[in-house]
Amino acid sequence: MTTIDFLLQGLAVATDPMILLYALIGVTLGTAVGVLPGIGPALTVALLLPVTYGLDPAGSLIMFAGIYYGGMYGGSTTSILLNTPGESASIVTALEGNKMARAGRGGPALATAAIGSFVAGVLATMALAFLAPHIVKLALIFGPREYFALMVLAFVTVSAAFGDSALKGMTSLFIGLALALIGIDGLTGQARLSFGVPQLLDGIEVTTLAVAMFAVGEALFVAAQIGGAEDKVHAIKGGVAMSRSDWKRSWRSWLRGTAIGFPIGAMPAGGADIASFLSYGTEKRFSGHADEFGKGAIEGVAGPEAANNAAAAGTLVPLLTLGLPTTATAAIMLAGFQQFGLQPGPLLFVTAPDLVWGLIASLLIANVMLLVLNLPLIGLWIKLLTIPRPWLYAGILLFATLGTIGINPSPVELAMLTIFGVLGYLMRLYGYPIAPVVVGLILGPMAEQQLRRALSISQGDWTTLWSTPVAAGILIVAALALIVPIILRLRGKGHVLAQIGGDED
Amino acid sequence: MKHTLLSAVFAAAFALPALAGDYVIMAPAAPGGGWDSTARSMQEVLQAEGISGSVQVQNVPGAGGTVGLAQFAAGTAGDPTQLIVGGYVMVGAILTNDSPVSLADVTPIARLTGEAVGIAVSASSPIQTIGELVEMMKADPGSVSWAGGSAGGVDHITVGLLAKAAGVDPTKINYVAFAGGGEALAAILGNQVTVGISGVGEFLPQVQAGTMRMLAVSTAEKWQGTDAPTLMEAGYDVNVQNWRMVAAAPGLSAEQKAAVAADIDAMVNSAGWKAMLDTKGWANTYLAGAEFEAQLAKEIEATTAVLKDIGLVK
Amino acid sequence: MIKRLTATGRRPDGAAFIVAAGLAAGGAVLIWQAGTIPDKGGYAGIGSAETLIFVGWGLVLLALAHVVKGLRGGDGGVPRQAPVPIAFVVGGLLLQLLLLHPAGFSIAGGVLFSMTAAAFGKRNFALTLPIGIVFALVVYAVFDQVLKLNLPAGFLENLIFGG
Repeated sequence: MTTIDFLLQGLAVATDPMILLYALIGVTLGTAVGVLPGIGPALTVALLLPVTYGLDPAGSLIMFAGIYYGGMYGGSTTSILLNTPGESASIVTALEGNKMARAGRGGPALATAAIGSFVAGVLATMALAFLAPHIVKLALIFGPREYFALMVLAFVTVSAAFGDSALKGMTSLFIGLALALIGIDGLTGQARLSFGVPQLLDGIEVTTLAVAMFAVGEALFVAAQIGGAEDKVHAIKGGVAMSRSDWKRSWRSWLRGTAIGFPIGAMPAGGADIASFLSYGTEKRFSGHADEFGKGAIEGVAGPEAANNAAAAGTLVPLLTLGLPTTATAAIMLAGFQQFGLQPGPLLFVTAPDLVWGLIASLLIANVMLLVLNLPLIGLWIKLLTIPRPWLYAGILLFATLGTIGINPSPVELAMLTIFGVLGYLMRLYGYPIAPVVVGLILGPMAEQQLRRALSISQGDWTTLWSTPVAAGILIVAALALIVPIILRLRGKGHVLAQIGGDED
Repeated sequence: MKHTLLSAVFAAAFALPALAGDYVIMAPAAPGGGWDSTARSMQEVLQAEGISGSVQVQNVPGAGGTVGLAQFAAGTAGDPTQLIVGGYVMVGAILTNDSPVSLADVTPIARLTGEAVGIAVSASSPIQTIGELVEMMKADPGSVSWAGGSAGGVDHITVGLLAKAAGVDPTKINYVAFAGGGEALAAILGNQVTVGISGVGEFLPQVQAGTMRMLAVSTAEKWQGTDAPTLMEAGYDVNVQNWRMVAAAPGLSAEQKAAVAADIDAMVNSAGWKAMLDTKGWANTYLAGAEFEAQLAKEIEATTAVLKDIGLVK
Repeated sequence: MIKRLTATGRRPDGAAFIVAAGLAAGGAVLIWQAGTIPDKGGYAGIGSAETLIFVGWGLVLLALAHVVKGLRGGDGGVPRQAPVPIAFVVGGLLLQLLLLHPAGFSIAGGVLFSMTAAAFGKRNFALTLPIGIVFALVVYAVFDQVLKLNLPAGFLENLIFGG
């Protein structure tokens, strides 16, 4: 059978009415749990996976796919409306999305996220079906030196999230980099900056920091504004649906986000967070609306959300073709496969084609279901903003702490939540951007470890870092991304950049 | 479907009140990992087989299990309902993290499961046997880069033991630690490193698919699913197993200890546990009583020595 | 009322100096700690200490940049903040931390809930505390009992769900 036959067969199974019902239940449950502030997709999937036990394999898979996509989309809903991302990949969504929501454009922000997720999900799933064997070869070309080059590119791109002041952005980034150094150094087992506190040996959890800085910091900041009149949030201003110009500005971003997200997600050390950072930087550079970034640019929601979803499909490439789980969610998915006595691995496409194609078809169905469920619900989600603040923020903080307590109910973890919450408040107050702190915490250790791995393999020879075409190519792109804007600005031709951006693709 | 959900809700909401023979099992790791799934499997089997009326699992993650171990040792003395799962990784972590609490501060009951450590190369690698690999290490230890799990973990310790047994300076091994199994496998498959070392289970699917070649396994006997020689057979005196165990609270009386050991024994010999091992793909390496205690003491001694040799412990 | 600090114009920016001091202190801690780490560079040539030194000096440079910025004058100060709501939220978080293990998730969560509501103006604890506890109990029932997320149980949870 050809790929298309398999896919059609999978779809035939997946369009059974019972199966569609499972998909609907999965998407609903996933959205319902994922939408709670501070609870990210990985936790959502882990919590809801047992619900799928006891169903037949087809039903279980499709419900799982629904939960997965529902959880991801639910997470971006609260990031946009309440500025409370529960995981690293929706941090950049919150950057522009929350600005849009505050300006009464929450509807279009949620819509572009939903449709972008759908477009990216469908395209990336098709790419998974047809290109997986080729993409996976690319993934294996990537070793420590190539990842290091990618991290350099990500660092350069992150400056897009710095806001108005480079000094404040760099300060935030370095605070994140410093926090990242706490705990055991993964490469040597050496404890750093733990000062004898055993709970610090594992370092600072990204989710704890993100929830503290965003949700707790936000609650403190909103509470402390005297009068609060100037910070009035508009639930709705203009339509809930996307306008013609929103569509026009979004579709390229969806495609760019997908093109970035899928391959990055497919790399064993890539991941949705890196994909969303890279996409955000790309959008700022190429959207032609760079001046709107930081104030609520729809491209800044559309691109990263598409990238995030495409990367999620991308992580299935190494899982299904090589049996490598590369993210927490993929590891949970692996556990799901094991229910059926299957070990995903290089032979899975051969030994269990029904299941693989069933999964791929399920992902497509779940994507459709997500759109069907969530577009009509957008009006309802926006009503969240009309809940009186005492109840709204009391609920946000309860859920924000729930995630931390559920994973690690130690006083040290909760104390960190409080301390970083206060830090997040102070940084907001003095105009320091929050996102680079979390970005530094994520990228810092990756860059450090990949650099030291590359140097260890080459026995200390630094030329290894640009010794392959891929690594050298990425470094050149990073250098250009850094230098070209500076040169153009020095020549007083800043508008040329916007021009180039506009003509691109 | 609705039915399943509802019944799950009801079953949970009207859970039976506490019975005698209750246990609280601490998994000193975050939900989802190996220790956590061991604890939850024990919970399931102990309840399903009627050995215990109610079993709860408590997660206390951190620092290779030493955070949980310290809390367990301090808070449970003399309480026979408290159990903790742990493993070989903990032995190393106690030493490298300079933990104030060790396995001597709890009451080890039994080793439950175990897995061999495998040494494997990509199928396209020129290295055919473990002997060739060791010769390369002898000639230039830095030229052999090892991809494995966290520094000071069982993979790292095995490389150190192999180097020592082969007469190579253990401080000179070029060990490259990877966080997740996925990334390490990709590095081995992509020939980014010379050789990989990890739990046999991670390599077997690749070996069966012909993308990797297993050079040796670390246990005393051959491992099911591969005909690779053991390190002993290849002439290196190394016998390592990445095991998981269960321990009870400190300060138990001999009768209390025997009662816990009898419950664990009943669990291990139940059909439910055997089925559980099959689904999870775990090998039964059950060892209890004085034999286990002797084996544990021996392994702690060997691990301490090799960690000193590698330079991770002073 | 707003931006009362700006009235003074381009005076040296006190906040920038405080940030500078914090960054310099952080940088110093990193560089000091780097010195206590034995060299484990191995074959890479750079080991556990080098990144500490790199980030440490980065923080020191940023501190210097903040000093320069502070001397040039502030960027406008900040709007006046209400301290009471902040005390309520932080107090709620700390109380939750202290109560979590002795009293269980629902009571600790209920206290956090009512303290947060108080920060936002609902100071009627006789109303908000029971609502918070019931709400937290429902959350406990869904997440702990149905979804098997392990949340700390207190006497209230044991009473209702039988431990």
